[in-house]
Amino acid sequence: MKRISTLIAGAAFATAGLGIATPASAATICFAFQDLETEFWVAGHTAITRTLEEAGHTVIERNANEDANRQLEQVRDCIAQGVDGIIIIPQDGESAVTIVNEAQDNDVPIAVFNRPPSDLSKGIVVVADNASIASQAVDFLAKEAIASRDGDGKLTPMIIVGDLGDPNAVGRKDGFYAALENYPDDFNTPIEVASDWDAATALANLEAAVTANPDIDLLFTSSDFLFPTIRSVFEPRGMWAKRGEEGHVVMGGLDGDATACQLLKDGYIDSTGVQDLYFEAEAALSAILAAIEAGEAQPNEVIEDPGFALTSANLAEREMDMWGCVLLSEGFLDQ
Amino acid sequence: MTDSGPRATVSGRDEFPAAPSVRQRAMRLFLSDYFVLYLSLAYFLVLVPFLPTLSNPANLANILSNMWPLLVVAVGQTFVLTIAGIDLSQGSVVGFTSVIGAMLLATSASPDVLSNAPIWGLIIDEAGGPLANVPGGVLVAIVAMVAAGAMIGAANGLAIAHFRMPPFMVTLVTMIVISAFAIFLTQSENIRNLPESYIQLGKGDIVSVYFGEQAESRIPRRQIHSFITYPMLIAVSVAILAHVLLNSTVFGRQVFAIGTNRRAAEISGIPVRRVIVLVFTISAICATIGALLYSTRLEAGRPTLGDGNFLLDVIGATVIGGTSLFGGKGKIIWTVFGVFFFVLLSNTLNLMNLSSFHIDMVKGAVIVAAALLDVLRTRLIRGEAS
Repeated sequence: MKRISTLIAGAAFATAGLGIATPASAATICFAFQDLETEFWVAGHTAITRTLEEAGHTVIERNANEDANRQLEQVRDCIAQGVDGIIIIPQDGESAVTIVNEAQDNDVPIAVFNRPPSDLSKGIVVVADNASIASQAVDFLAKEAIASRDGDGKLTPMIIVGDLGDPNAVGRKDGFYAALENYPDDFNTPIEVASDWDAATALANLEAAVTANPDIDLLFTSSDFLFPTIRSVFEPRGMWAKRGEEGHVVMGGLDGDATACQLLKDGYIDSTGVQDLYFEAEAALSAILAAIEAGEAQPNEVIEDPGFALTSANLAEREMDMWGCVLLSEGFLDQ
Repeated sequence: MTDSGPRATVSGRDEFPAAPSVRQRAMRLFLSDYFVLYLSLAYFLVLVPFLPTLSNPANLANILSNMWPLLVVAVGQTFVLTIAGIDLSQGSVVGFTSVIGAMLLATSASPDVLSNAPIWGLIIDEAGGPLANVPGGVLVAIVAMVAAGAMIGAANGLAIAHFRMPPFMVTLVTMIVISAFAIFLTQSENIRNLPESYIQLGKGDIVSVYFGEQAESRIPRRQIHSFITYPMLIAVSVAILAHVLLNSTVFGRQVFAIGTNRRAAEISGIPVRRVIVLVFTISAICATIGALLYSTRLEAGRPTLGDGNFLLDVIGATVIGGTSLFGGKGKIIWTVFGVFFFVLLSNTLNLMNLSSFHIDMVKGAVIVAAALLDVLRTRLIRGEAS
C-alpha cells in the first residue's frame, strides 16, 4: 500500500504542472491496460488515472491480464458503455491495430500509450523513440567498455531482447546494433538472449548464455525490469561488481525505473535509456481530451518522446529528469 | 422428468394429482435441463436495474459475440468430460492451429519480426504464405488447420485409449509440447496481414440491426449492432452437429456408456478405444475451429492464443452448464447455457468495474459452486429414481 501511495505521490508531483486540455464537461475515459507487471507500467497507470480523476473525469479501468482477446472484449464493453474516449496499453503491436480499428469504427477516439501498434497510421500513438534512446545508452556503454579494455582483442557484447512482437523491443534492439556499428573493430558479433518480456524466460536463457560465454564485456538489457534477474545470474559468478572493481561488466538498460536509478548511483550499471513517462502520459491525455472536446472521433497522430540516456557521467545534472529517480527520492525502494 | 398423468389411488378411483407444491416446483426447476438458462435470465433481470448498460443493444451484441468462439471449444470439451476425461491441450491447439492458418495465408510478413523464425523462407517470406492470394486458399488453409488439430487430438486419444494413460497427464504434456512448438515456429511472434476473406469469418456480419428512427443520413457505426454473424453461424452449426452426434447416434450412446462405466462398456462390446480416440479428435477439431474464430477476430495468428485463463473459461463454462466432471452426463444444450452464463458473468463483472483479479476470483468461485451443484443434483436425481 505504501508503495502505491508513493507512486501516487510521484504521479501527482509529475503532473502538478501539466497543462492538460480538459473538455468543458467531464468525460468518461476507458483505460484498458495489458497488465501492471513493471515499475514503468505501474507509474504510467498511476499518472494517467490520477490526473484524469483530479480533473474531474471518470475513469473506467480494464486490466486484460496479458490476454489480447480479453483486452479486445474489454474495449468492446467500454464502447457499449458509451465512453467518450479510450486509452490503451496494448498487449502487443498486432492486437493494438485491431483494437484501434475497433474503436475508430465505432467513432470513439483512442490513444495508445507507449506500446505502439504495428500500423502507426491510425489512432493517437504516444511512443518513445526507442531506437534513438537505446542507441544513446549503448553508445556510452561502448565507449566505457573500450576505455576499460585490457589488451587489443575484440570485446564481447550481449543484448537481452524483449518480445519482438512489440515494436518497442524491435526499436531497442535496432538502437543497440546501430550504436555498436560505430565501433566495427572493437566488438564481436553480439550475443542475443531472448526474454519475451518475461523474467523467468530471461533467467533461463541468460544463465545458459553466460555459461556458454563467461567473458562478456558489455550487457544491454532491453528493459530495466530485468536487472534483478541479471543480478541473480551474475552475482554467483562474480560478475556483479561496481565500476572500477574486479569483474565489473559494463552494463545498461532502458526505461529509467527506480531500480536502475539506484544501481546507477551504486555503480553497478553505467547507463540507462530514459523514457519520459510523465511527458508521455501528459501527451496521451492532452490529445485524447482535445479530440473529445473537438468531437473528433478518429484522431490520428504520432507523438514521439525523444527521451535521453542517463549515464554515470551526467547523473549529477540530469538525475531528477528521470521518473525512476523521482520515485527513488521519495523512498520507493524502501517500501 | 416427472409423470404428470392420472394416477391410481388406493381407493381404486382415477384422480388428477394435486397441484405440485412450491418445494416440488423448485425441485423440478432445479433438476430441469434449463436450470442454468433460468438462472442466467434471473441473474440478468436482477442486475439490469443496477447496470442499465447490461440491456443496451451494443452490450447484448458483445455478449453474443464473445459467446461463439468459447462455445465451439466448450462443445469439444463436453464430449471429453462426458467420457470422464479432460482435455487440457485445447488451448495449445488453439494457439498452434492459429499459427498454421496465418503462416499459410498471410499476404505479407516483415523480416524484422519473423526472420529468426524457422518458418521464415521455408513457408513464409516477405511475399506472405504459400496460399496468399490463391483462389480457394482460405479453404485449403482451414483444411490444413483442421488436419493438424485432428492429428493432435488423435494422438491424445491413442495414448489414452491404447496405453491407458490418464487423460490429465497426456493432455497436460500435449499442452506443454504443442505450446512450445507453436512459439518455436514463430519465435513467439504473431503473424498478421491476414486476407480479408479469412478475417470475415471471425468478424463478418450477415445481419446488423439499428434501433430507432433514421434522423441523419449516416447512422453512426456504434449504433449499428451485429446480430447474425459468421461466427454465430459457425458456432451454432457446430453445436447442432454435436448435439445430433451426442444425442441421436450410436456413437453418442457409446460416449455416455464409456463415461458411466468404461469396464462395463468394454464388456458390452462397445469399441471403447475407437470411441475415445474419436472423442479426443472431436475435441481438438472444435479447438481448431475456435482458433479460426479467435485468430480472425484478433486479425493475427498468435502462438500464445489459448494461454492464461483460457482453459478456466472453457472447462468452467462446460461444468457450469451441468456436464459432469465424473463422466456419463453431458448435453450440448447445457454447454450452450453454461457458456451463455459464463460470458454474461464476465460481462457483468466488467460492467461493475471490478479488477481482473476479482473477476477471476469470482469466476473460480462460480465454477466451484457449479461443481457442488452438480454433485447435489446428481444425488437428488438418484434419490428420485430410487
